Amino acid sequence: MIRPTCSAPVGLARLVEYWLAELDAATEARIEEHLFGCGVCSRKLEELAALATGIHQLVRQGAVHTVLTSAFVRRLTEQGLRVREYNVPHNGSVDCTVAPEDDMVVARLQAPLQGIERLDLVEGEARERLYDIPFNAKHGEVVVTPRVEELRKLPASTLRMRLVAVDASGERVIGEYTFHHTPYSGRSSTT
Amino acid sequence: MPYASKVPEHSSETALDDATLARRIAQTAPGIDSMAETELYRRLAPRVRLYGLKHLRNESAAADLVQQVLLTTIERLRAGRLREPEQIGSYVLGMCRMVVLDLRRGHVRRERLLETYGEGLAPADMPEPLVLNSARLQRCLEHLSVRECTVLVMSFYDDMPSDEVGNELGLTAANIRVIRHRGLERLRDCVTGKELS
Repeated sequence: MIRPTCSAPVGLARLVEYWLAELDAATEARIEEHLFGCGVCSRKLEELAALATGIHQLVRQGAVHTVLTSAFVRRLTEQGLRVREYNVPHNGSVDCTVAPEDDMVVARLQAPLQGIERLDLVEGEARERLYDIPFNAKHGEVVVTPRVEELRKLPASTLRMRLVAVDASGERVIGEYTFHHTPYSGRSSTT
Repeated sequence: MPYASKVPEHSSETALDDATLARRIAQTAPGIDSMAETELYRRLAPRVRLYGLKHLRNESAAADLVQQVLLTTIERLRAGRLREPEQIGSYVLGMCRMVVLDLRRGHVRRERLLETYGEGLAPADMPEPLVLNSARLQRCLEHLSVRECTVLVMSFYDDMPSDEVGNELGLTAANIRVIRHRGLERLRDCVTGKELS
């Protein structure tokens, strides 16, 4: 079989801009014209679409451990996802669990973020550290999503998270958060 | 006679370009070149599906688009109503644009088309869309920096452009595009096995 070639391949960054509707109408039309005549570039777009679909599905399964925003979580709930949210006060604690019907669990860590350059999140006794997490200082919170399947396996336990500010002068803990986790008993509420 | 017969992977049709396949279908009429039809369908279906996914953001609507556009295209090629078969790509794109407009207006023509042409135009099976290994994708996502993971999740969960993601994260759109591109390159390498620790 002859391997198809393309003399003017569309770069990945351009394809992403196309997929996310960031291009003006004329550029989008030019790219579409090319894609319909080019098996190589349409295959690359198919790979991109598969990544997007895969990410979408993982998020809906609560399978991605990352940091998000309140607005993003709100959109998830508006789309029908069952999101269990815990608002954790600055240096405070919560009782928490995960119910069988929950799609996702979210911890909203309240913190004074103004003036902070870099923020790390340190989790658990193993001190797993997430470096340079994204945050919007205006929001005064960091929204963390753990993997739901891992939470479901946890016995009753106490877990801790720390937010650590990092700058040229060193690091300082700006917030500590405690989670008193219990396996689902059928009588629980979010905070 | 349907054009659903299988084209062997190493058949001579796979070596032909789109225009040649389209011309063969047109020149064979009123006979049917089922090998050329199937090969053309196999190539164009993913492109039409992607167009549908981008503009309709719905998998089943995209599948409907594939059927409607490609049934019409093959029918017109057979009937000699496509004057420039070498412009097959542009023709199919134009048809996609028209049908998407129709679908958005709520006009459903697919059933009419199927009623009219019936079994004679029963399409070959839609080529299976590319599906990634979910466990591997999960590992690869978390192998990225949190910043990259967050930006990719927010960008691709709901197809959110860089200015909106930046607005939520307090970063510029240009910054988001840089993070997004770097993250996507690394994710792709990881998923395809070029980078996985």
